[in-house]
Amino acid sequence: MSRTKTMFKTKTSWKTIAYFVMISFALLTIAPIVWMILNSFKPHSEIVRNPLSPPTSLYLQNFVLSWVQGHLGVYFFNSILYSMISTVITVILAMGSGYALSKFKYRFSNVIYMFYTLGLLITVHSVIVPLFIMETKLGLSNTRLGVIIPYIAFGLPFQVFLATTYVKGIPDAMQESAIIDGANYLQVFFAIILPMATPIISTMFIYTFLGNWNEFILVQTLTSEIAIRSLPVGINSFAGGMSRDYGLQFSALVIGTVPMIIFYLVFRDKIAQGFAAGATKE
Amino acid sequence: MTFKQQKMASYLILIIPGLLLFASVIVFPIFYSFSLSFTTWSGYGKSLFVGFENYRNILTDPVFLHALRNNMLIVAISVFGQIPLGFLLAYMLHRKMVKGGEFYQTMIFLPITISPVVVALLWNQIFSSSGMITALIRRFSGNSQYVMKIFEDKSLAIVPILFVLLWMHTGTYMIIYLANLQKITPSVLEAAQIDGATEAQMLGRIILPSMIGTIATTAIFAIAGSLKAFDLIFAMTGGGPAHFTEVIALYMYTNTFKYYKYGFGSAASILIVALSVGLILILQGTSKRIERKYE
Repeated sequence: MSRTKTMFKTKTSWKTIAYFVMISFALLTIAPIVWMILNSFKPHSEIVRNPLSPPTSLYLQNFVLSWVQGHLGVYFFNSILYSMISTVITVILAMGSGYALSKFKYRFSNVIYMFYTLGLLITVHSVIVPLFIMETKLGLSNTRLGVIIPYIAFGLPFQVFLATTYVKGIPDAMQESAIIDGANYLQVFFAIILPMATPIISTMFIYTFLGNWNEFILVQTLTSEIAIRSLPVGINSFAGGMSRDYGLQFSALVIGTVPMIIFYLVFRDKIAQGFAAGATKE
Repeated sequence: MTFKQQKMASYLILIIPGLLLFASVIVFPIFYSFSLSFTTWSGYGKSLFVGFENYRNILTDPVFLHALRNNMLIVAISVFGQIPLGFLLAYMLHRKMVKGGEFYQTMIFLPITISPVVVALLWNQIFSSSGMITALIRRFSGNSQYVMKIFEDKSLAIVPILFVLLWMHTGTYMIIYLANLQKITPSVLEAAQIDGATEAQMLGRIILPSMIGTIATTAIFAIAGSLKAFDLIFAMTGGGPAHFTEVIALYMYTNTFKYYKYGFGSAASILIVALSVGLILILQGTSKRIERKYE
């Protein structure tokens, strides 16, 4: 009797702790975001006077000013362009490599795969200096192409890893029967492998898109013109120093976060899969 | 074209474009960086070969040593903060200790979608003199003149940054552990429960041992991620005031792109790679030893 009693007690105490921890963490996420959104509808003077109070009227001027004068519209467009193009190319190249590395059974495939795996350890910071020098010499700095190329390259190691692991799991039999029927390997890739890999393709796409959308140091270093900079870099130069108007700063932050929160709420499971896949031990 | 040739051609078509990009943007620059790190090149003009002088200068620079200390604190908060907290959260969700677990999971993982730069500016607002924390403290302490001073203290200035890093990344670890906890066969836990095992016993004897591999892998992530911490600090403090919140990646960046010391900056970035590889090797050694203990 006493044993079930203590068990019951420890169970409730675990529950109490669990609720406490969960609620604190959830509040730590919700409170800053709600506070930011509320303040983005207040003029500067009102924010300084009453930082905690909700807006007294629907003041939209902050958004208009930061979108137009702060060039956030331009940055937003560039971010979409960079993220879309480089994500599509990264995923296609990674799928191609994943198929080649897992199904062709060439011995040097292992060497190439190891090469990519080592690439996972290399961060942007360790190559940013030579990359900047190379792009300046080639005339690629301050161009859109000069942003997209490194985006693709840095996306590849992890995406090749995801693609290779997944394609390895597709049974060889399907490929073999198609080859016997006279299909070539590229036809197999487009007609069999790609359709069968749609679950991992969508995970790869969303994960890579998210990474590219939030990327900062490459654009910050390799570009200097407003017309080709992306949202994180633009928000940093606009809200981080140039403007001392808190209302504008908050509206810029809202433009930076709210679309991503919606993106997250729609694709949460896919994003989670991408993160979990890297650390999953089979 | 024979079948063999056709196969080889397809292989090359599939693999070469990616490999070419990877080699020219990542592999070649690493070697380039390595060779630059032994010179005094400043972006133009002559470059002098100076051997290990850049490395010697970096390793004796008090600013670098403070940056290294901050990086080690970031490693510590990741390995001893984010990982255990993320594990605890995942465990609580997996064992269904709270109702509406889905909601909490969504909220805790949410910061991962927000760009680190935006996170930095948001928390700067929260910590600022007209920010949320100051306003809350003023309201509840009754001291209407309260000002936060933590950023002005040489040894404590990094603390708000550590907190924000914890805020940003704990959810990621939670998600990873949650995915792996779901792989433990539920019948094992049920059997233990029927045998009268307490929550702590199940955690310590069944769940933790089967998660050691995953924890070691995430620790590698944490270390690699900690050494490249850049975006957030760049936007939050820029390493200031007076280098109090400097980290190695920022140190490299400032020396290269502000003072045009390309050779010196390259040496710093090579040190980042060396450090992360070194730490990861140490970690792999210890995790193997722990795994062996449980076998």
